[in-house]
Amino acid sequence: MDGSLTINFTKRLKIFFTWSIISAVIVVAFKISKFDIFSLITGFSHSISLIREMFPPNFSRFDKILLVTFETIAIGFWGTVFGILLSLPLGLLSANNISQGLPYLVSKGLINFFRAVPDIMFALIFVTAFGLGPIPGILALSLATVGLLGKFYAEAIESIDKKPVEALESTGSHKLGIIRHAIMPQVFPLFMGYNFYLLDHNIRIAMVLGLVGAGGLGVELFTQMRSFNYQKVSAILIVVILIITLIDRASAKMSKNIIDGNFMSKQNKFINLMLIGIIILVSLISFFFIPFNLSEIFNGIPRILEFLRDLFPPKISEIERYLYLIIETVSMGITGTILAIILSIPLGILAARNITHYRVINIFSRETSNFFRAMPELMFALLFVAAVGLGPFAGVLAIALHTTGFLGKFYCESIENIDKKPLEAIDSTGAKYIQKIRHAVLPQIIPLFNSYNLYLLDRNIRASTVMGVVGAGGIGFELIMSMRVFDYQRALTIILLILITILIIDKISSWLRKKIT
Amino acid sequence: MISLQNITKKFKGDTVLDNICLKIQQGESIAIIGPSGSGKTTLIRTINGFVIPDNGSISIDGKEIKYSDKKNLRQMRKRIGMIYQLFNLVERTSVLENVLAGSLGRYDNGVGLVLSTIGLFSKEEKEKAMELLRFVDIEHKASERVDRLSGGEKQRVAIARALMQNPDILLADEPIANLDPKTSQKIIDLLLKINEEKGITLLCVLHHIDTVKDNFNRVIALKKGKIIFDGKISLLNKTELLSLYEIEESEEFEWMAA
Ligand SMILES: Nc1ncnc2c1ncn2[C@@H]1O[C@H](COP(=O)(O)OP(=O)(O)OP(=O)(O)O)[C@@H](O)[C@H]1O
Ligand SMILES: [Mg+2]
Repeated sequence: MDGSLTINFTKRLKIFFTWSIISAVIVVAFKISKFDIFSLITGFSHSISLIREMFPPNFSRFDKILLVTFETIAIGFWGTVFGILLSLPLGLLSANNISQGLPYLVSKGLINFFRAVPDIMFALIFVTAFGLGPIPGILALSLATVGLLGKFYAEAIESIDKKPVEALESTGSHKLGIIRHAIMPQVFPLFMGYNFYLLDHNIRIAMVLGLVGAGGLGVELFTQMRSFNYQKVSAILIVVILIITLIDRASAKMSKNIIDGNFMSKQNKFINLMLIGIIILVSLISFFFIPFNLSEIFNGIPRILEFLRDLFPPKISEIERYLYLIIETVSMGITGTILAIILSIPLGILAARNITHYRVINIFSRETSNFFRAMPELMFALLFVAAVGLGPFAGVLAIALHTTGFLGKFYCESIENIDKKPLEAIDSTGAKYIQKIRHAVLPQIIPLFNSYNLYLLDRNIRASTVMGVVGAGGIGFELIMSMRVFDYQRALTIILLILITILIIDKISSWLRKKIT
Repeated sequence: MISLQNITKKFKGDTVLDNICLKIQQGESIAIIGPSGSGKTTLIRTINGFVIPDNGSISIDGKEIKYSDKKNLRQMRKRIGMIYQLFNLVERTSVLENVLAGSLGRYDNGVGLVLSTIGLFSKEEKEKAMELLRFVDIEHKASERVDRLSGGEKQRVAIARALMQNPDILLADEPIANLDPKTSQKIIDLLLKINEEKGITLLCVLHHIDTVKDNFNRVIALKKGKIIFDGKISLLNKTELLSLYEIEESEEFEWMAA
């Protein structure tokens, strides 16, 4: 055999070690998160019997369901509105092409902090300060929105075309004039798209904030779940699925129109106006559901300060146990991501119209991933805890399903965007379907997949820190318990541990992502 | 022998191939010329089944191509190598892997199918791939990633991949349209060498008349989906050539210089 064929020895050794480490991490993660084939099979049969118990759905308190539904939408809507209002200045101040110095550092730091803290954790803290109800939900969503939207805004501003900015600068315009006339026109459509995306996202999150008492459908769902009223649970779930699907469709339609530049164009005017009309109508109605009691908010502020004071000093007496739980949490994220990857590859292939030529299969796979993506993972977690019991296994399943929604869509889109030329060339050698996928499709998409998988791994470890809120394993359970018994010093230790973990994972993942691209 | 009988193809009502009849003996080397849109690409793609004719039939060595029978189509494609203008390589993988992909048609069941799908090829196949890379003179880049190669190098890899099939026929659709003149001549020389040494039938769509004149005996000229000339290039006189490309006599000078 020729010399050029044998890759040099050290390179092979390196590949071997990398893979050994990756496999070892995965094996350990599966073990710690208590995932194995046996529990999968029993879990499956338990889930089936849970679904059986849910039938027929009990709609006897439909008025109540309707009420909490409106409250949920109101929480999502107002959380988004306040989030947008906060994100605009912070986003502008944290864009490195128009801001520098202290304002830049502070706003960037704030945005990063809000992004690192899981939304449900904010809700938990605000519930402690303001009591049960929708207000803490709205506040939590506003801050979480800043974490996402502030970054989106800043990135949009950073990637603008500089020529018009320079042109205006040369006229001697004031900075605000430049922002208004050279920057805003460029980023406005993007901003609008992000805003609709956030509205969609926040209404979905608002459905689970109730799990910690922050108002909306989640409260009712959790109550019925705990009293084993599964027929009422299924009635609520049906409403949830309905709303999630509707909003998902509406937001997809709006963002598509905005991105294609056809927003409010002749053929879309009717549908765009109608959707905006519905949003305005709902927001007006939702006023009635939010007890916007300013005095209540002001009363809460001293309680927040008190809470902050009570946090110190952190208690480190049980640190070993917490460290183990952190490892469990990270393991859940890893296991859930791996499972999602395994599930998503066939789903993505079946959904991609250019390699699977059966319309029905395409549509079915696409809708499956849309649904999984739209359902909040805490909702899945709640259901899996009922089906398979407390513990990390339920959390892993929840993360796996939700992530499958993201990955299935991403895989499908990247397959549909591949270069078709090599595919035809392999076809012309007389290769079979499966060989074509392996030799013409996979080599093109695997590099993309790796980087997206890593991004999701990062996200999932963050998500697994709060699975414990519904008893689905990880450190989150300790957090909610210590909050419930007002042991805030313990809570601080846990919060700090979670934040440090998230930071470390974030660093590792961005380092790895740079390495593979 | 390839034989096309009364091949007709319409796209959205436009007749792109109009009652084409053609016989090609094993081992021939043929250039196909004609203005843009005359149906050259469509014609050669009917031979390996990427275009299904509306009418007529094509047979290779007496066996008719059954376009609806996937297995039959695959077995036929195995015997026909295809070379493209834009090379159609899998950019992110190595030269060797691209060439090995040419052997996929041989592993269509059992263990061979499983192994080739995983990406494992036998030692013999690897040696054959290296031998072909040596033949097309790019052996030293075997483990290089394809996206690091120049256009001419990529086309050599694509030719090696096609040869990996052990084809009886080689179809080439404007194989030199994206290459500089010097590299182009080398690629044409390589294709003709393959035709001569290995006895592989060569059908080559070309745009540059000089290339055709210097290298090919038999020329097929298409215009509006019809064969308007088939024979030795020397028999195709200047006026006919000009009318083929619908060029006015006054523009002749410019055109000839191109
Ligand atoms: N898949 C298709 N669908 C619709 N029309 C097609 C398709 N393929 C080819 N055509 C049309 O058929 C005609 C002939 O195309 P073809 O590609 O065979 O021409 P060509 O001689 O190879 O041209 P060129 O020299 O530009 O490559 C063109 O008008 C083209 O637009
Ligand atoms: Mg062509």
